[in-house]
Amino acid sequence: MVELTRTFRPTPSDGLPTSTSVLQKQTEELVVKQLSHYQQVQPNPNAGPPSASLPTEPELSKPLLERKLHLQFLLRNMLQGFPQRYVSQDASQPWLMFWTLQGFSVLGVGLDDKTKKRARDTLLALQHPEGGFCGGPGQAAHLLATYASVCSLAIVGQPGIGGAWDEVDRKKMYDFFMSLKQTDGSFLVAHHAESWILFRYASLTNSGIYCLLAVATLLNIITPELLSGLPEFIVSCQTYEGGFGNASFPEWVFQKGEDSTISFDPSAPRPVLGEAHGGYTFCATASWVLLQPYVRAYYSSPIENDLSSNDDAQSPGLPLPSINYLLLLRWLVRMQGTEIELGGFKGRTNKLVDGCYSWWVGGCLALVEAFIGLGDTEKHAEVDYSGDTGTRAEEDAWHDIDDGLLNREALQEYILYAGQHPAGGLRDKPPKPADAYHTLYCLSGLSAAQHHVAPDESRKTKLIAGWKAEDAQQKAGVCTAQTSTDNQARAAALRRYTFTDALCWLEDEGADKYVGGSGNRVNATQPLFNLTVTHTELMMAHFYGQTLPPRVAQTPAKK
Amino acid sequence: MYDFSEVEPLYAERPDWADVTPLQQYQGVDPLAPINYSTEYQDATDYFRGIVKTGEISLRVLQLTEHIIRMNPGHYSAWQYRYRILLALQLPLEEELRLMDQYAIDFLKTYQVWHHRRLLLGALRSVDAAAAELEFVARALDTDEKNYHTWSYRQWILAHFNDEARLWAGERAWVEHMVERDVRNNSAWHHRFFIVWGSGMRVGDEDRERTLKRELMYVKEKIALAPNNPSAWNYLRGILEHTHTPFSTQAIFVQLYTTSASTPGDVFDLDNPPPSASAVLPCENALEFLADIYEQEGGAQISKAIEIWRSLADEHDTMRRKYWEYRIKGASQT
Repeated sequence: MVELTRTFRPTPSDGLPTSTSVLQKQTEELVVKQLSHYQQVQPNPNAGPPSASLPTEPELSKPLLERKLHLQFLLRNMLQGFPQRYVSQDASQPWLMFWTLQGFSVLGVGLDDKTKKRARDTLLALQHPEGGFCGGPGQAAHLLATYASVCSLAIVGQPGIGGAWDEVDRKKMYDFFMSLKQTDGSFLVAHHAESWILFRYASLTNSGIYCLLAVATLLNIITPELLSGLPEFIVSCQTYEGGFGNASFPEWVFQKGEDSTISFDPSAPRPVLGEAHGGYTFCATASWVLLQPYVRAYYSSPIENDLSSNDDAQSPGLPLPSINYLLLLRWLVRMQGTEIELGGFKGRTNKLVDGCYSWWVGGCLALVEAFIGLGDTEKHAEVDYSGDTGTRAEEDAWHDIDDGLLNREALQEYILYAGQHPAGGLRDKPPKPADAYHTLYCLSGLSAAQHHVAPDESRKTKLIAGWKAEDAQQKAGVCTAQTSTDNQARAAALRRYTFTDALCWLEDEGADKYVGGSGNRVNATQPLFNLTVTHTELMMAHFYGQTLPPRVAQTPAKK
Repeated sequence: MYDFSEVEPLYAERPDWADVTPLQQYQGVDPLAPINYSTEYQDATDYFRGIVKTGEISLRVLQLTEHIIRMNPGHYSAWQYRYRILLALQLPLEEELRLMDQYAIDFLKTYQVWHHRRLLLGALRSVDAAAAELEFVARALDTDEKNYHTWSYRQWILAHFNDEARLWAGERAWVEHMVERDVRNNSAWHHRFFIVWGSGMRVGDEDRERTLKRELMYVKEKIALAPNNPSAWNYLRGILEHTHTPFSTQAIFVQLYTTSASTPGDVFDLDNPPPSASAVLPCENALEFLADIYEQEGGAQISKAIEIWRSLADEHDTMRRKYWEYRIKGASQT
C-alpha cells in the first residue's frame, strides 16, 4: 500500500487565465485523475465540487508495470509491422527499430537468433553506399538515422561473418561525418596548430552532434579533427534558463572576409536559436560528457600522465570552454512537475508533462548527477544533514542513501500511473494512444529512476590497467596522420580516455529502488547511449580490440 | 501547383513514367518492424528510389517529391532532392516559398518544412523575402504559439539579416504583443532575450544601463500581473546574470512576493510594482530568489537562506525537496 499524505495543489493562475494556464489546468485534472483507477477507498461522493473530489489521502493499490501488455505491444509492431499512420515515420525506420529493440532490452527480454538475424539484415539495408545509415533504404544518409542504426546493431549484432558489426563501413561513415563539416557553405578554419581546426556547419544541431559522438565513441572512429570546435558549440547552446537549445548562430563568430578568407572571433555573440528544451538538453549534456576525453587531451598542456618531457608538449592547450552546471541542474529539477502532475517531466518552461521527458530530462538529470558525483552512495555516505533533517533520514532509508536531485519515486509513479496505456504500450499522457517512441522513453525513464548508473573509479582503474593501446589503434576505423610526437600522444590519449570514460559507467547495485515492488524492475541503461551496460561493453570491446576485465557485482550498500 | 486531390493513377500505370524502373524498398530481406504503407505511398516512393538511382533532375521529379512530401512531410530525402532540383533548374525560389506557405499550415510541426524555407531564404538573399518570411512566421505563431521550429527560424532570419534595420524595427513591439497574448509563453520570453541580449548590440540600444532598466521594469510588471510564472522569473534572473547585476538589487521588489499578506504601500513605486490583487502568495519563485540574495550576501545571511530553502523543501515545493537540501548542503559547506 502506498500511503498518500501529499496534497495536490493546482498550479496557481493568479486570476489571470491564459492559454498556457488553461491547458495546464486541464492536464493536471486529467493526470491526477489516473490515481482513481488505483484507489481502494473511494473519496466521499458528497465531498463537494469536483476540485474537492480529487484524491487527497486515499490508499492506493500498488502500481504494476504491465510488462506482458507492453511486450505484446512491442511484439505486434515488430512482427506484424506498424499501422499505416506510421508513414510519418517512414524516414525514421531505424528509430522504429531502435525504440522496439531497446524496449525489449529494458524489459529484460532477449530475442531469438532468427529474429536477430532479420533485424541485422533490415538494418544493413539502411547503410548508405557512401557511408552512414539512412532513414530507409534508398534514402539519404543522416546522423540521427546512423545513431539509431548503430545502437540497434549493438543490441542484435555480433562479431564475425553475418554478425553485421564488421559489415559497418566505418571508414566511409567517418568520411560521411567529415563531409558534413564542409557542406552547406561551411568552412574550415585553421587554428594555431595543424590538427586543431575550428569549423562551423550551417545546420549543426545538438541532436546531430549527440548522434555523431555516440556513434563515433562506440565504433572507435574518434579523431581530433572530427571533434574540433564541438565543445565550443555545445557551450554556446546553453540558454539563460540553464537548459540547452538545439543550435546557436555561428555567422558572427566565423566571419567571411572580402577575399573569402575566414576569421574566427570567439568574443563575438553566438546566440542560441530556440529556447531551453528537454530533448536538446539531453543531447547537449550527453555530448558534453562524451567530449570530455577530447577536452582532457587537447585543452590542457601537457596532458595528464601521458606526455614525456617532449618540447612539443609545451604548446598551450586551447582555452577551456565550460557549461554552467548549477544553472543546468536548476533547470532540470524545475522540469519535474508537482504532485498534481504526479512528478512527470516537462520539456520546456510552462509546457505540459509528457512521458517521453522521463528520459530526456529525468535521464539527463540522472546523467548529470552521476557525472558530477551527486547521488553516489559511497562518496556521500558520511554526509549528515544538520538540524531537523536527521530524524527524516532515520524515517526514510531511501532518502538517506540517495543524494541525487531527481525525485525518483515520483517519476516512477508518473510512468506507472499515467504513462501506461491500458491496452499496452506507453504514452505521453492520458488519454493519448501509446506509440513506439513513448514506449521506449517512458521505459528508459523508469529505468533511470529505478537505478543509479555512474562512473566507477575502480572499474576505470581496471580498464586502464588492461588497456592495449596498439590493439586499439589497429582496430580503429580510421587513421589520421599525426605528425608531431605531441599530437601522436594526444591522439593516443584521446582513444584511451574515450574507451575508459565510456565503459566505467556501472550500475550501483545497492542504489536501486522500485516503486510498486521489485516486480516492476526494468534493466539499467547506460545513460550516455541508452543501451544496457552489457550491450555497450560488447560492442566497444569489439571495436577497440580489447578484452574487458570481468565485472564483479558490487557489494550492496543497503540490505 | 499540381493538384493531388484528384484521384491519379499510380505511377506504375502512367505511360509518362514508363521509362523509370521503380525500386522496391527491401530486396531479398524480410524486414523486421516494417510499416504497412498505403498503395499510393508505396508506389510513389518506389519511383522515387528509382529516380535517386538515375539522378534525374526534372519537373516531373519535382512533382513527385511534392507528392511524397504531402503524404509524409518528414521525408527528408525528398526535401533534399527537391531543393537540388530547384537550384539545378533555376526555378523561382519565391514561388517555392509561396507553395511552402500552404505546406507550413498543414505541416506546422515538421522540422523539414522550416529547414527548407531557411535554405530557400539563404539562397535568395532578399530582404523583401525575409520581411515576408517574418510576416508568415507571425501568422504561423498565431495558431501554434510555442512551435519550437517556428521560433528558431524567426531567430535565424533576424540574425542572418542582422544589419537590416527594417527587419528589426518592429521586433520588440511584436514580441511584446506575443507576451501580451500569453504572459506564460516561454518561447516569447526566450525570443525577447535573444533580440535584446543574445544577438549583440543594436543601433540605438548602446546604453546598456538604460536597456537593463527598461527590461527590469518590463519583466517586473509582468511578474506583478501573474507572479506564479516561471518564464518571467527566469527572464529576470537571466538578465541580471547576463549583466552581472547582483540579485540583491531586486530585494525590495522580491520581498513583496514572499509573504502571503500583501501590504500595498501608499505610494505606487514604479520600480517595485506590487502583486495583483488575485495573486497567490507567497510565490515559490520569489522565495527562491530571496534565498539566492541571502546566499550571495553570505555571512550571517546564510542562515536566512537556509530557512527559506527549508520551507521550500517542506512546504512550498516538496517535489524538489532533494534539490533544496542540496542547496542547504552547498551553502553550509562554504
